[in-house]
Amino acid sequence: MGARLTQALPYVILLTVAAWLWSIANGVEYDARPDALGPAFWPKAALVLIGAMSVFQIARTLMSSSDDEAVGIAAGLEEEEDDAPRRPLLLALGVGLTIIYALTLDTLGFPVATAAFLIAFMYVGGARNHVAIWASSLIGVAVTALLLMRVVYVSLPRGVAPFSGVSDFITSF
Amino acid sequence: MIEIFAQLGDGFIACLHPTTMLMLLLGIVVGLLVGVLPGLTLVMGVVLFLPFTYKMQVTDAIVLLSAMYVSGTYGGAFTSILFRIPGEPIHVPLLWDGYAMARNGQPARALGWTLVAALVGGLLSAVAMVMLTKSVASFALRFSSPEYFAILVFGLTSVIALGSGSLANAVIGLALGLLIASVGTDPIYGAARFTFDMPIFADGIEFLVVMVGAYGVGEVLSRLERGFSSKPLATISSTKTELPSLAEVGQVKAMLLRSTVVGHIIGIIPGAGATVAAFVAYGLESQFGRRRAQMGSGVVEGIVAPQSAATASVGGALIPLLALGIPGSGATAVILGAFMLHGIQPGPQIMMTSSAMVYTIFASIFIGIAMMCVLGYFAIRPLVKILDFPEAIVSAFVMLFCFVGALAIRSNVTDLWLMIGFGALGYLFERYKFPIAPLVLGVILGPLAEESFMNSMISFSNDWTVFFTRPIAGTVMALAILTLSLPIIGLIRNRRKPSGPPSAPQLSSVGGAERVLTPEA
Repeated sequence: MGARLTQALPYVILLTVAAWLWSIANGVEYDARPDALGPAFWPKAALVLIGAMSVFQIARTLMSSSDDEAVGIAAGLEEEEDDAPRRPLLLALGVGLTIIYALTLDTLGFPVATAAFLIAFMYVGGARNHVAIWASSLIGVAVTALLLMRVVYVSLPRGVAPFSGVSDFITSF
Repeated sequence: MIEIFAQLGDGFIACLHPTTMLMLLLGIVVGLLVGVLPGLTLVMGVVLFLPFTYKMQVTDAIVLLSAMYVSGTYGGAFTSILFRIPGEPIHVPLLWDGYAMARNGQPARALGWTLVAALVGGLLSAVAMVMLTKSVASFALRFSSPEYFAILVFGLTSVIALGSGSLANAVIGLALGLLIASVGTDPIYGAARFTFDMPIFADGIEFLVVMVGAYGVGEVLSRLERGFSSKPLATISSTKTELPSLAEVGQVKAMLLRSTVVGHIIGIIPGAGATVAAFVAYGLESQFGRRRAQMGSGVVEGIVAPQSAATASVGGALIPLLALGIPGSGATAVILGAFMLHGIQPGPQIMMTSSAMVYTIFASIFIGIAMMCVLGYFAIRPLVKILDFPEAIVSAFVMLFCFVGALAIRSNVTDLWLMIGFGALGYLFERYKFPIAPLVLGVILGPLAEESFMNSMISFSNDWTVFFTRPIAGTVMALAILTLSLPIIGLIRNRRKPSGPPSAPQLSSVGGAERVLTPEA
């Protein structure tokens, strides 16, 4: 039963979020026109679909007679796809690095933050060839930054001093 | 007809422009590399290159992405045949006969047959694409908003019905996509929906943020959790291509034509991309082919059928994209996104307003297929050498492309945060087996579907029956209902059958195979 509850949990969350969004959709303000569907009609239709499918999946998971049917084809396929064990720590490190990157981007600027991210991500991912890691990261970021900031003029965060000096150096080419 | 040939000729001349040729070559090379790398799917590759097309001419941008799409259906064949590593789900059928032929001491011959299949299938499908697109577009000029809505419903239901995983999860993914697309200012009333008082939400959520996050970041996080488990190759074995003789090709011409037609038709159906085409073509050969008893033991039919169908699906998928504005596959959904980023809405009008661009794209498909085969013939060794790159390094650069994709849209770090959020959603979708394609198509097609639905309701005084009583809309709606009911009927039939152990290449049930192998290309 515990496995079934775990299986049903995503749909319970979806149902809760759908109910919350429905209440927000009810509060959409607009100038009502007679006999016209309002702006909340379309998102509400999507929410009805989400809610109905979630209820269906919850019912199927909790009430089905066989475990195979309860967990659906997903669980059966999972074992076939990749036999490497899941490593939540690696995932947490990867997510953490991505969040740190977004937090520091405005301060460090695109070139410095991205190079630091790439190097750290490669080590977290298990690469150990130091020359390849550092060379590919630094060259890759320099080329990308030069291409975007100097050639196609995409406005990327330059960072604050002293880190902005790196962006200035790249764009000075 | 003469007019079509004249415009196609102009398209070939336009393709010879150095920038266009460069984009074509770049697209072919990158598509082949994406096809070779197991961690990088064809759709993800096209998505990651989309931000780099912002400042390009729209024709060059579409030529680049279409070239990637074409060659992505071929690159993975090398590694499937030589190393038993399918770079794409498309090439799983090649594991059976392609790898078996290689193990029988004929890897060069297997590669040669793959090349011929991709060349013939791709070119024949491109011819059909040129012939049919204008007719389909002319027919679509009769459409008004109910017909458009019906077509969009058909496209979305096909994606749900033919996608991977459970039907309910696919519907949830689609509805989430529609919901995300509704964020921002409503186009009819000007009302703010789900903006949470954040100015950036008033402009809506860019579909590129969703695509890059869900496909790119989500996939990288999923593979990181497994420790990037694919191992680099120790040695690159004998890699050369031995083309079959014309007489040998003549012996399988009927099967080659049949598989090409199958691939082309499957490409036209929204939601069924190259993977479904490859599996259906292989399934048909293993059920009805002349050498069906030998399928799986390294026969030519097992290589030619899936490869020709996969490449032929590209020409088919481009027809609904250009003529109706409805993507036939995940990759064409991204190409539709590229059109929209440049302010062009593909559809019936495009053949009249931008016919020069359309025929340049057509011509680029012909040149691209030829170029792809030449590169595949001469540059196979360096192409498969990329498998020596550690996956951690390749994935780090995928993340870099994702960041660039998010930052380049509005130069706003909030988009980066949104992309990370959608990356987390993409990871959860992978983890809990929700298909991503319906989510992305919901985000892209949601605004079009809402607009045509609301316009229909305004024009026909909220009369719902208009979608069923008008001849074209009613027929398309009936097709949509039929498409949606097919997997349900299949499920009921499967439950009635006595259960037994499944065999390896179990392709008698096409639906079963495609659901296992995530057809999103």
